Amino acid sequence: MSNSAIDPFAKPLPSPDPDSLPLWEGFRQGKLFLQHCKDCGGIQYYHQASCRNCQSENLEEREASGRGKIHSFSVVHRAPGPAFKNDTPYAVVLVELEEGPRMISSMIDTNPDDLDFELDVAFTTEKINEEISLPRFRLA
Amino acid sequence: MTKGVEPTIRGKTAIVGIGQSKKVGRVPGVSPLALAVEAANAALAESGMQKSEIDAVISTQAMSTSFHRFSVAFSEYWGIVPTYSNNVQVSGATGAATLNEAAAIINAGYAKNVLVVIGDSLLTGMTPDMALRSMTESRDQQYEMPFGIPVANTFAMTAHRHMKEYGTTREHFAHVAVTQRAHAMRTPGAQMTSEITIEDVLNSKVVTTPYHKLDCAVISDGGAAFIVTSADRAKDCPKKPIYILGAGECFTHEHIFLMPEITTTGGVTSSRNAYKMAGVTPSDIDVAGIYDCFTGTVVMMVEDLGFCKKGEGGPFIADGNITYGGAIPSNTHGGLLSYAHIGNGGSYFHAHEVVRQLRGECGDRQVEGAELGLYHALGAGFACAGTTVLGTEATL
Ligand SMILES: [Zn+2]
Repeated sequence: MSNSAIDPFAKPLPSPDPDSLPLWEGFRQGKLFLQHCKDCGGIQYYHQASCRNCQSENLEEREASGRGKIHSFSVVHRAPGPAFKNDTPYAVVLVELEEGPRMISSMIDTNPDDLDFELDVAFTTEKINEEISLPRFRLA
Repeated sequence: MTKGVEPTIRGKTAIVGIGQSKKVGRVPGVSPLALAVEAANAALAESGMQKSEIDAVISTQAMSTSFHRFSVAFSEYWGIVPTYSNNVQVSGATGAATLNEAAAIINAGYAKNVLVVIGDSLLTGMTPDMALRSMTESRDQQYEMPFGIPVANTFAMTAHRHMKEYGTTREHFAHVAVTQRAHAMRTPGAQMTSEITIEDVLNSKVVTTPYHKLDCAVISDGGAAFIVTSADRAKDCPKKPIYILGAGECFTHEHIFLMPEITTTGGVTSSRNAYKMAGVTPSDIDVAGIYDCFTGTVVMMVEDLGFCKKGEGGPFIADGNITYGGAIPSNTHGGLLSYAHIGNGGSYFHAHEVVRQLRGECGDRQVEGAELGLYHALGAGFACAGTTVLGTEATL
């Protein structure tokens, strides 16, 4: 789906797979879904066909609160390829969601100098094209 | 913590030959396969074996080639018909994983004389398409790469959190770079040999916080090879055999956000399994080759490998413990930071250096009386970890 391998200036975009289609559909609607295991109670990000803890397929999709904290971050000054060159410096964040799971994302509307560990952040999305919206975070 | 490992291959196999391409570093105009052949020829010469005696080839993906089966392509190019061939791809951990696999298949009776070999041209041989592909495909396409996260960034986030949790500083990280540069200055053929200071590291250009340019590994061309054989056969080889005493590996996650705790790695399990198999403890180790894609990686590893307590890696290194006279002289060739980094096989040079130290061949780099060595390789944002314990005949 993505043609980033031939166009160095195109950002790599995800190609949703059978497991992840509902997750990406959620992002398109501005929602972050987590999978809750009805057998062991485990909560997981990202979507799979089965629970990572007990392999149950009895998974329920629930919308996350969207609240989280910055567990770690790194501000990229040297871009990984030409596609991200105009974005530097930009912060990649490892967010710990209120529900427990962590996820990788990046910040919007935030000066990278204002970032710190354990800061409260809030989930949002950024529309890239008709099919893909990317999960992002902003300071809460 | 020690699941899955019984002391079955301790001392059963040995490294009897090591070899590098004629030049390592910037080597334009020599193909990855040609670099691999130079290394293989050098290792074979040390082993005293004939090429036809090599019945197994283990390699890894050479990023600057389009081969899907580098070990098979290599065998054709070198003119042998092995009865075992494999390409291991566990990123930076490949180095230890392939040596461990060589020991395992010999011990299983599946091969007699194994060539572990790689050649790659990361510095001068990557077409723009290859470079781009290796960058954009290095992290997951759905949950990581859309956010512009190079693999460097995953390592940076672990180091950053380590600073937060344990008070580790950029100065601590800089000590790793300065120490290893001093080592490289004494190593013939090292890529980076001009002296650097703590200030130089701190003031070098920022790459991805907290890492600056001199916190990061170099990029290189080169080839590396080993000949591994049974302990019985090793006795007839001209070089002092260096025995594989312990092996351990651990793969904790694929995505950085599923790493259980980002300041503690699978190196804890891989090294404990390797120590257990070898019947040694960290304080027994005389010399180490520790994967050093970034300075902070070494800080975290001296902790996870058991050389100091968790969180004390920074002060431990700043106190001079990874150089001569310290607790565990490490990366005495200069490491990925200053000697060379040729990709998945980059840490083969660490293992070469440990072998040379144990043979007593290091001249003015020699760690006096080194009998027991540790080799630890890791990769993919600490997803993959592999450890090998090596020793001389005296340690059997
Ligand atoms: Zn479950």
